[in-house]
Amino acid sequence: MSLTYLEAIREAQAQALREDPRVFIYGQDVGAFGGAFKATKNLAQEFPGRVLDSPISEDAMVGMAVGAAIEGMRPIIEMQFADFSTVGFNQIVNQAATLFWRTKIPCPITVRLPFGGTSGSGPFHSQCIEAIYAHYPGLIVLTPATVEDAYAMLLEAVALDDPVIFCEHKFLYYHLKAEKLPAEALPIGRARIAREGRDLTIVTYSAMVHEALEASKELSTEGWEIEVVDLRSVKPLDTDTIMASVARTGKLLCVGEAWPWGGVTAEIISRVTSEGFGLLDAPPQRLNAKDTPVPYHPNLWAAHRPTARSVAAAARDLLRS
Amino acid sequence: MLQTVPEIRPQNSPASAQDLHVSAYRYMLLARLLDEKFAALYRAGKIHGGVFLGRGQEALSASIGISLRKGDVFAPLIRDAAGRLAFGETVLDAVRTYLGSSLGPMRGRDGNVHRGRPHEGYLPMVSHLGAMISVVNGVLFARRLQKINGTVGAACIGDGATSTGAFHEALNQAGVERLPLVLVIADNQYAYSTHTSSQFACESLADKAAGYGVEVQTVDGTDLAACLKTVGEAVSRARRGGGPQMVTANLLRLCGHGEHDPSDYIDPKLKDSPLGRDCLKVAEDFLLQQKWMAPSRIAILRNEIIHEIEEAVARVQREPAPDPFAEEWQAISTERLNEGAEER
Amino acid sequence: MPQIPIIMPQLGESIAEANIVAFLVKAGDTVAADQNLIEVETNKATMAVTSPCGGKIEKLAAQLNESYAVGTVLGYIEASQEEAARLGLDAPQAKVSDTDRVSKGDSNGSGTRVQPTVRGLPVPANAAGASYLSPRLKARMTDLGLSAADLSGVAGSGAAGRVTVEDFEKFISHLEKHKMTAASSMRVSVADAMRRSWTRPIANVGMPVCLDPLFAYRKVARPKPGPALCALRALAVALAENTKPAGRLVGTKIVHPSSIDIGFAVEAEDGVLVPVIRDADKKLLKDLVEPYNELVELARQRKLPVNATGASIATVTNFGTFGLEWATPIPLPEQTLVLGMGAARHKPHWDSVKGQFVPIMEANLTLSFDHRVLDGGAAGRLLQRVSELMKQPEKL
Repeated sequence: MSLTYLEAIREAQAQALREDPRVFIYGQDVGAFGGAFKATKNLAQEFPGRVLDSPISEDAMVGMAVGAAIEGMRPIIEMQFADFSTVGFNQIVNQAATLFWRTKIPCPITVRLPFGGTSGSGPFHSQCIEAIYAHYPGLIVLTPATVEDAYAMLLEAVALDDPVIFCEHKFLYYHLKAEKLPAEALPIGRARIAREGRDLTIVTYSAMVHEALEASKELSTEGWEIEVVDLRSVKPLDTDTIMASVARTGKLLCVGEAWPWGGVTAEIISRVTSEGFGLLDAPPQRLNAKDTPVPYHPNLWAAHRPTARSVAAAARDLLRS
Repeated sequence: MLQTVPEIRPQNSPASAQDLHVSAYRYMLLARLLDEKFAALYRAGKIHGGVFLGRGQEALSASIGISLRKGDVFAPLIRDAAGRLAFGETVLDAVRTYLGSSLGPMRGRDGNVHRGRPHEGYLPMVSHLGAMISVVNGVLFARRLQKINGTVGAACIGDGATSTGAFHEALNQAGVERLPLVLVIADNQYAYSTHTSSQFACESLADKAAGYGVEVQTVDGTDLAACLKTVGEAVSRARRGGGPQMVTANLLRLCGHGEHDPSDYIDPKLKDSPLGRDCLKVAEDFLLQQKWMAPSRIAILRNEIIHEIEEAVARVQREPAPDPFAEEWQAISTERLNEGAEER
Repeated sequence: MPQIPIIMPQLGESIAEANIVAFLVKAGDTVAADQNLIEVETNKATMAVTSPCGGKIEKLAAQLNESYAVGTVLGYIEASQEEAARLGLDAPQAKVSDTDRVSKGDSNGSGTRVQPTVRGLPVPANAAGASYLSPRLKARMTDLGLSAADLSGVAGSGAAGRVTVEDFEKFISHLEKHKMTAASSMRVSVADAMRRSWTRPIANVGMPVCLDPLFAYRKVARPKPGPALCALRALAVALAENTKPAGRLVGTKIVHPSSIDIGFAVEAEDGVLVPVIRDADKKLLKDLVEPYNELVELARQRKLPVNATGASIATVTNFGTFGLEWATPIPLPEQTLVLGMGAARHKPHWDSVKGQFVPIMEANLTLSFDHRVLDGGAAGRLLQRVSELMKQPEKL
């Protein structure tokens, strides 16, 4: 049995629906149609009355989820694209994220965001906005990079009592496959060493993990061994694992598909510099998308975000310093 | 609890019109006197942040509070002191939140009208108008999924909130899902300084209901008797499965947007018109005219209420304020996932 | 005739491949532009692949019920030149993949940017190069108790020749292959003092002094003063007359010494100790002999009391005891002067009265000094005075 990242997400939702009667799924086109990406294919049939179509109302979708959570349920909201979650931004950051802090009532909602770029998707179907949600206190922000993590982390997210922003990478949906689902996994909040190395640490997440691994292969032929840290969760950030890796290598390159200003890469570098200054043999560097909206044309898109080649080039600069 | 007037709710008995009216009047008077107390404390520098009163809106607000039952869910808004009290909120909760006592329901983390007890059925508002309606929808939706029937959800908003996207999305959602939602709109003619002529283009807010497939009634918000009847019937219809109900009430805001606002933009002609009647006086006159309460009883009631409020204020003023060093500054309930970045 | 490829299109966000479920045409068929050619199925739906142009199906390379990745060539259409030109299919296709071109220093996409002065290492210019020690390197060096001076001679392979942590670790492990003995704490502290002293520009002057009067004096004097003590006392007297040469330069001021405390170097074990004669200008030479000898003894036994060292304004060193005629000692870091004396030798001296060379006992007096405080002239004058005083030991 080989399954894709998308199928793993579907399987996790099926399992959640099966095991916990409090779980339901609400989103546009998720019912009979099975979702724009087929993430809920057949689930409406298998779990009648629990996988429901919503109007195009991201604000009301999230508000409704908060109300259902207050009432004790565990809603999963599927946003059709991360880019549209901004219509529901207010309910996410001002309603869901503040409920526990203001009232002691936890808010166990999971908002699934298909995020990240695919060629030809353009400015409004490609965004990576995890940093904006991470900025608000009260939210957990996850970015699984593997089929196994997409499955395990979604299950754990639904089980958590706190609001989770679950960023699923659209490019990985069908491009990434695995042999089987894991029996156990690292808990949310722990980063994973995707590749052990010695000369430089790349800290990254989601689709960029694969670009970093590709770049590491290339650099390996030149005699450099790169360590790749897969964050898995952006908030909370596993500073310990990152710091330990930089302690081993002395050089840090942060890679993110999102825009540079105030992004995840900025947060990592800020922490490493202030807590691990003495670990650095060279100034920490980062590689992000260009500071423009995501372009539509494949030529432009391919140059807009980091790729294995640009990651390798940035790493080489750092290695030679 | 007050001695003079027993607690009467519609589902007990059936309540007589007299009992209902008297009970609602009590909540209105309590709300009015409590509001006046807050205004006074504000002018005395005892309240940090804003003070928002419901003067002029008490009849409508008390009507929805009293028509709901324990077990229903209620999202009151800024000017719903009367409704909150009628639904079951205590004077202490209100005073503690306004005075920033660490013993209040929000523990100092939110203030003034941003208070509630979600598991007791009344939701603490966020400041974004219209945003609470879909949360009420969510509670009702969840109950339906859990096969809990017979409860109603109510949300109160003003004319200004009807312009927000959140209002539109939530009402649409309630209509599509046919939820037992009662949306009470207090059209008090002004959203802060903006007259309704700049707020919406249709003749009346009631015109909007058709667009959402929602039943609507319009009522004179200054007339308690009319409000009790109209709102009560809307709640009953919703409870019986009649789908979402909208009630729009016409009245005039008899105070500033907040106590910091002198509101001299309010058209004096409106103040002199029937719209500008003080619903508390109208309710009192009606009680007296119907001989449902004697003037002496009203006077005693007033004194009891003043006494209750003053005791509450005196008590709360002796209570501790939140201590930043004793706070656990955690926004996530799962301990191990809190970053505690500040300690770094 | 141009051969136009039939390409598997991208039939949805994140779709990677599609399955061929039906061929609607076969090789040899004539087709029009936009005509449906092949039915494919993705995870979402069944759709048709359309013809890029009019022409004849030259070849269909795909198999029924097989999956092909987006971008795969499924077949070819033979089109007329005019048709290909009309549809712009005859121009060479720009290769999308080469946009992986990365310009150096443009990793974050900023256009114009101040180029770093050091390749790949965007540090400020004045921190670049061989003197730049990264925080990690500094931390490592602190762990091992090393300072920047210990890195002199280490080849740096980093940008602009800086010493990287790798270079450093190689250096340390290289050293570990050699015989190593522990440096005593005395050695380490002398090393540190010399390194700190050397941050100043040190210069040296010297002149011979005739020791015959001193040796004559010694024959009758009780107790007997040594030549070094004599030099010390002479220096004290000379400095009491003019304290400026022993002053310290701090910013734009010369800080003059307040008391004439002069130290003298005593070799002890692995280093040098410097006991001090306090107020040497106020005591006569004959009264200094016993205290001096006592201090020498205590020094040799490493039993000097705390107040017997430190806070001196100049040092005297008798390197002549090692057989050296000439040396260039380094003043202590907190001092401006060190007076040295070489071994006494018989030397021919021109006696203009007798008109011939006569033998005398002579030694070189050297003055090593902080050239920021005094120049050769002042140094020479001081030595002259000391020499003068040493030739009248009975007056010291």
